[in-house]
Amino acid sequence: MFSARSTVFAACAALLMALAPIVVSVAAPEPIPEIRLEHGRFQPGELVVAADNPFQVRVTNHGPAAIEFESFELHRERVVQPGETITVYMPPLRAGTYRFFDDFNHATPQGAIVAK
Amino acid sequence: MATAAIALVVLFAAAQMVPFEHPPAPDDGDLIAPPGVKRILAAACYDCHSNHTRQRWYGRVAPVSWIVARHVAAAREHLNFSDWSDYASDPGTLAHKLDQIRSSLADGTMAPWYYRMLHREARLDENERAAVAAWIAQATAGSERPAHRSR
Repeated sequence: MFSARSTVFAACAALLMALAPIVVSVAAPEPIPEIRLEHGRFQPGELVVAADNPFQVRVTNHGPAAIEFESFELHRERVVQPGETITVYMPPLRAGTYRFFDDFNHATPQGAIVAK
Repeated sequence: MATAAIALVVLFAAAQMVPFEHPPAPDDGDLIAPPGVKRILAAACYDCHSNHTRQRWYGRVAPVSWIVARHVAAAREHLNFSDWSDYASDPGTLAHKLDQIRSSLADGTMAPWYYRMLHREARLDENERAAVAAWIAQATAGSERPAHRSR
């Protein structure tokens, strides 16, 4: 009823369909979350991430002056110039709340990274 | 006059009862540097900027003990050599910390004058400053991939 060629074709098509989700997940990396300093505050003020996984965060300074993105709990400290975006590498975090702030301007409300 | 003196003595004695401590903290990975540089930084900086604070006699007497404990806690928040591998897991943070060490040694803000007054080992000579500066220049010249460790 079916020729050998069409059987092979069908098998290949089935294999491709089965592998497609894996291929897509490899090809499309997780989006990198972003924290923006806008209008004198960090947005979002609370960034939720998955616990126990390393991740990256982009920090963009939309303000008119340099900021120092700092977290004592995360042991991170970076200067971000106006208009600049930096990438901060984070280690796997235990579930919990990790505060960050602008060390150049303590009037800026603190933000937090929440690992869940 | 005598009453005031007695009151002061009582107050001083009572102050000794108020506990203080440098909270114990695990080493998250000590500084990685050539032995010579590490020796210089350990002698000059580790009392405040690491989890290896050496207790001095005056650091056990209130109210100096309170001031020292507060000072050490603040110093560890800003730079703690015992957390070095955490800093190194983000190349930008590592570069920033190295730059802070370089500039604070260059302009003489570290170690603070009052600490240098009491601790001869914190008074770095030109050769020691140059050794630290050369190490920092070398460390910041190369790029480093972040190495993740769980917290």
